[in-house]
Amino acid sequence: MTASLTPDSQPVASSSSQRQPLYEASTQYRYWRFSPEQLAHMRSTLNVDAVSAIRDAFEADSPGSSSNVSFLTAEEEHLLVKLYVGKISQLCGHFRFPEEVEATAVTYLKRFYLKNTVMDWHPKNVMLTALFLATKTTNHPIALESYASHIPKTSPSDVLDLEFLVAQSLGFDFAVWHPHKALWGIWLDVQTLPGISIEDLSKAYEAAHGHVRAARLTDAEFIYTPSQIALACFSLASPTLASAWARAKFPSSAHPPVLDLLGPIKEIIIRDGSPPDVEAVREVDRRLRLCKNPEKIPGTNVYIKKQQEQERKAEEKRLRKAEAARIAMEEGDPFGSELVKKAVEDLDDDDDDD
Amino acid sequence: MAQRNNWLRGTTIRKSGPSTSNNTRTNTPQLPSTSKTIYGGGVQDPSGRTTEYFSMDDKCPICDTDRYLKPHLRLLVSPCYHRLCESCIDRLYTLGPAPCPTCNTIQRKLGYTPQTFEDLTVEREVAVRRRIAKEFNKRREDFPDLRSYNDYLEEVEEIAFNLINDIDVAETEARIARYRQENAALIKLNQQREEEYQRYLQEQEEMERQERELRAQELRRIEEEEREEREKGKQAIIDKLETSDKDAARLVAKSRMEAQRRASARAASSSSISFSQSSAHLLRTRATQSAVVPDVPHIPLQDDYYAYDDMFKMQETYHDPVSDAVRRDKEGIMRAGGYQVNQAWERALRFAVAGLDIAPLSGMPTPPAEPMAVDPEGPADVVMASA
Repeated sequence: MTASLTPDSQPVASSSSQRQPLYEASTQYRYWRFSPEQLAHMRSTLNVDAVSAIRDAFEADSPGSSSNVSFLTAEEEHLLVKLYVGKISQLCGHFRFPEEVEATAVTYLKRFYLKNTVMDWHPKNVMLTALFLATKTTNHPIALESYASHIPKTSPSDVLDLEFLVAQSLGFDFAVWHPHKALWGIWLDVQTLPGISIEDLSKAYEAAHGHVRAARLTDAEFIYTPSQIALACFSLASPTLASAWARAKFPSSAHPPVLDLLGPIKEIIIRDGSPPDVEAVREVDRRLRLCKNPEKIPGTNVYIKKQQEQERKAEEKRLRKAEAARIAMEEGDPFGSELVKKAVEDLDDDDDDD
Repeated sequence: MAQRNNWLRGTTIRKSGPSTSNNTRTNTPQLPSTSKTIYGGGVQDPSGRTTEYFSMDDKCPICDTDRYLKPHLRLLVSPCYHRLCESCIDRLYTLGPAPCPTCNTIQRKLGYTPQTFEDLTVEREVAVRRRIAKEFNKRREDFPDLRSYNDYLEEVEEIAFNLINDIDVAETEARIARYRQENAALIKLNQQREEEYQRYLQEQEEMERQERELRAQELRRIEEEEREEREKGKQAIIDKLETSDKDAARLVAKSRMEAQRRASARAASSSSISFSQSSAHLLRTRATQSAVVPDVPHIPLQDDYYAYDDMFKMQETYHDPVSDAVRRDKEGIMRAGGYQVNQAWERALRFAVAGLDIAPLSGMPTPPAEPMAVDPEGPADVVMASA
């Protein structure tokens, strides 16, 4: 951040190259931008870690039981997430949520599964929470009761239980820059070009909008900026208008570098921009039922053991805290002296994990 | 019976139980006292008057006289905080100091004071605090830091508490004496300061009062002049009508105009008077103003981002079916929250050009540290992606 504290250093003084561009200051650019290789690596390591953790859990439950379980691969996990990305769009249509909510919820779901595995948290539940969270962060709030009552077999607690986990996995980066917004901007700005017929433009805009929706199913938003995705979608609908606009934006260079990016983006959208085959996903889901993390299924031995372990830990922590407070009280100062305070901090710095 | 006949004697006694708020007389007793002694002391309000506590249930604990039998009953309080009626005081203390009939400590007649509060413990607390405040009059400026000032205040409070509740009285008194000895000069100085301030306030008040008086005099004078002039004008009209042979209506109109001219001249001069008189008021307000800390406007966002302003040029209007409804909304229902289409357009345009030239990452660069990421020490069930 280049926050200058002196109010008199106005933009006039500094040239645009020194100042940080707005998009590059966003959390989306800083923490949610990856290369395709990074994405693949993240997913595969996540899958490997998760499988070994769940295998341990199975073994702890009953030794030898994990040998005949076929765990999901990273690609299968991704397939399942993609299906539920599509489900979010259906739900948004049902609730008549604005596109902003839909796009934000989709981004939340995809980001969540860059940090978590479907074998721990089923996307069916996470999707509901992500959508509910998105309604709040985009300022289209809906009452939790009416939200849950419109979705079959869902209670308010199902939505809320995961809310903190989801927010935490998102790193509390709730603000998202969306391609559909950028596309709207392109639609407005193309009108300033000379010799534009509104009919052609609106036809291209409609088509491009469809491509933006398709792009939501892909990983494009993790690799490219929203404006690049929007321009690629626009280019899919009308290549001439898109390149004319891009050239107008960079009048100094004969061939703006952004035009070279459009090809790969278009490729991604065309390749991945369709909903997954339902039969294949159903097969994945059937196998998921068998290889779910037993620590997350209420009623299993491992689950109970885990709960007990957590309770024991919490109890221990409570005792330690009470002891520290008692010592502080005896020392005379109810807020503790410097030393005691430090000791308490050492004991307990994660107050928020329950 | 007695109450029914009150009207005969010309007195009205309001019947008031302990619950009614009308328990205290508004000022020093209206009823003639039976004693010739004038009792001083009591709690005074800022104007110097003592308000005496007065209740229909008053009853002398020694002679059992109550207000029913003796409407003029007046109860006084001894330094040991026991009540006694005036006639009992006269009777018991005729021969000089004598023991208090309730607690047997030796008291004098002049030690008795009027009662202000219904609750005698409050009476006592107020007296103790007044006494303490006279000597423990240090100010914040007399201490190097807030901590020592607070310690001092706590000590004062402890002394007051001890005296009020009779805890270690001898020791506390010794403490007060020691303090008095140690801080004699400072106590004196602070007392002088306090007196000076009081004098200053009094002077201010006096000045204001004088000003008001002057003003009132001036107004009276002006009114008088005006009246005289009116009389004179009337007389002149009559005289002229008598002597002159001109048109009566014209004459009247002419003299009216003259009168008006004079009145307006007077108004102008009086307004200048009022201006000079309000200078004192102005001075006072200026003094209060100088004590106010200058209000520096708070600017929450002093950042300096590049917002792609050179990448696009906003138009007056666009062909935009999406925002048609908002723009056609003449009543402003959709714009109620401060929504403006222009701003939405500007944002969209900014989105369209933001990061157009950022090349995508490739290969395996090290990911940036995420400040808000999930704590790896936290819940073990959140599997971390970072390898």
